[in-house]
Amino acid sequence: MPGSTQDQVMTDAQSTRPEEDEHYDPAPDQDRIRVLSGATDTAASFQFDGEDHTLGNALRYIIMKNPDVEFCGYSIPHPSENKMNLRIQTYDNVSVYTVLDKGLDDLMDMCDVVIDKFTIARDDFNAQKQNA
Amino acid sequence: MSSQNYSYNPSGQQASAPVTAESGRSVEYTCGDCDASVQLKRGEPIRCRNCGHRVLYKQRTNRMVQFEAR
Amino acid sequence: MPKIPTQEELEQRKRVQINAETVTNAQSNDFPHHWPGEDHSWNLDYFKSQFRVKFEKNERYDAEFSLIGLDTSVANAFRRILIAEIPTLAIETVFINQNTSIIADEVLAHRMGLVPLTASRKGLDWMSWYREPTEEDRGSGQPMDYNACQLRLEAACTWLDDDAINRANRGETDPNKLYKNHSIYAKDLVWVPSGQQNDKFEEPLRPTNPDILLVKMRPGQKIELFVQAIKGIGQDHAKFSPVATASYRLMPTIDITKPILGQDAKKFARCFPKGVIELEKVTEEEASEKKELEGKEGELKAVVKNPMRDTVSRECLRHPEFKDKVKLGRVRDHFIFKVESTGQWDSDLLFLESVKLLKVKCERVKRGLDAMMG
Repeated sequence: MPGSTQDQVMTDAQSTRPEEDEHYDPAPDQDRIRVLSGATDTAASFQFDGEDHTLGNALRYIIMKNPDVEFCGYSIPHPSENKMNLRIQTYDNVSVYTVLDKGLDDLMDMCDVVIDKFTIARDDFNAQKQNA
Repeated sequence: MSSQNYSYNPSGQQASAPVTAESGRSVEYTCGDCDASVQLKRGEPIRCRNCGHRVLYKQRTNRMVQFEAR
Repeated sequence: MPKIPTQEELEQRKRVQINAETVTNAQSNDFPHHWPGEDHSWNLDYFKSQFRVKFEKNERYDAEFSLIGLDTSVANAFRRILIAEIPTLAIETVFINQNTSIIADEVLAHRMGLVPLTASRKGLDWMSWYREPTEEDRGSGQPMDYNACQLRLEAACTWLDDDAINRANRGETDPNKLYKNHSIYAKDLVWVPSGQQNDKFEEPLRPTNPDILLVKMRPGQKIELFVQAIKGIGQDHAKFSPVATASYRLMPTIDITKPILGQDAKKFARCFPKGVIELEKVTEEEASEKKELEGKEGELKAVVKNPMRDTVSRECLRHPEFKDKVKLGRVRDHFIFKVESTGQWDSDLLFLESVKLLKVKCERVKRGLDAMMG
């Protein structure tokens, strides 16, 4: 005789979902930042877990726009591992951590501007199409 | 109780324990020639009822099998 | 005394030179300390003042727009997120009760995973992530109404009527005249809503393209299965990518340095896609103004009309008649994006989501940095 069949896998109940599900991150390896050895206050290498060229290149560009930065570059040590290294060297007495923080803030501001301008342009274009 | 059929590899295999055969149960086979359904119990001679062909094929299991759509 | 570059000089800096066999000046150079005496440090107001978005097309699942004033690294970040990191619902697990068709179980499961699904945006946004049960916590990761959707597919192929077998024997081969349910399409996948899904989903969960052929069958074969669809990202598996593709290209430029006239002009226009180059008659005043056009009044002159449509094949550089009279290039900060959605997200929402996700990435890194700094 045929074996037991598995029927309803889904729970039909009106269940409340746990709060933590809202913050669940699908990207593998939640972000961890490490400072690699040999770092000083004006020259340091950071290692990001779970990041790749997407954030790396954009962050490098924004940090390079900072006039206090002597050097900024990123690399991915091995493509099989999901790690990204970012090296920042600053002039004189500027702290690398401040520079990294500012870079992230600047990138977020840039995203805000893009969202605003895009939404306005999209709405204008749709309105124009409606009237035409 | 839930018997979860879990697949750990993309081809997905069932993981249930084998069913102990009882002589009270008959299993359906398909005849090689005439495609008729043949019920046989343990120990019965292996022959199709209609055409007498001696090659019978076992039908696909009715157990649920789980696969990853990857 | 800081030198202020002219508008023309600024234009040239942004121009990627496309030569017959090389491409030059492709690197961004708007960094501080690169141009002596000029300040190129990050200035949000300056960025805001010169950044523009221009739409070409905004259909529901196909959007084409230009982002002008952005850097390559950021535009690429948006493109990468569009392809790989926007959460999409797709079939992940297939539970097969019966499959006597000739398509193997795992092949059928693979095909079903690739079928793009669509539903109301509100319902899809309401859904959260599904996690597999872990070894340590056996109770975790149950599929619930808020993180997994169930669809069902049940079909059996039969002879169309009693006479069908005879027709087949007589030589009829058209499956539509012989069998019933011989081809199973994506539209045969039926959604089985459960719990709160009934309320949250205004539009039912269904495949975007109902005419995708999944499997062909013959009489006596049947398929009985149900599937679980969950949210995932493209990084995990390509079936979770919300775009057919998302791409961008740089705005091409064509500079005619010396006038191209007459037959040459016609040949020149043929080197480019239709609409890029148009022929115009040389006017009297042009003939009197420019030395090269002296006496050429009335002749046809090549004029650049719509460089956006150019595909930069560099064909014109292969002909000695005008290869020294034209300069090809691309504007380094003008990105023409094309976002082709598979149907689950609207194209313009996709881009907005991608920018938001870049922000979320930055916020995540910031939190990690703060945690590390103590």
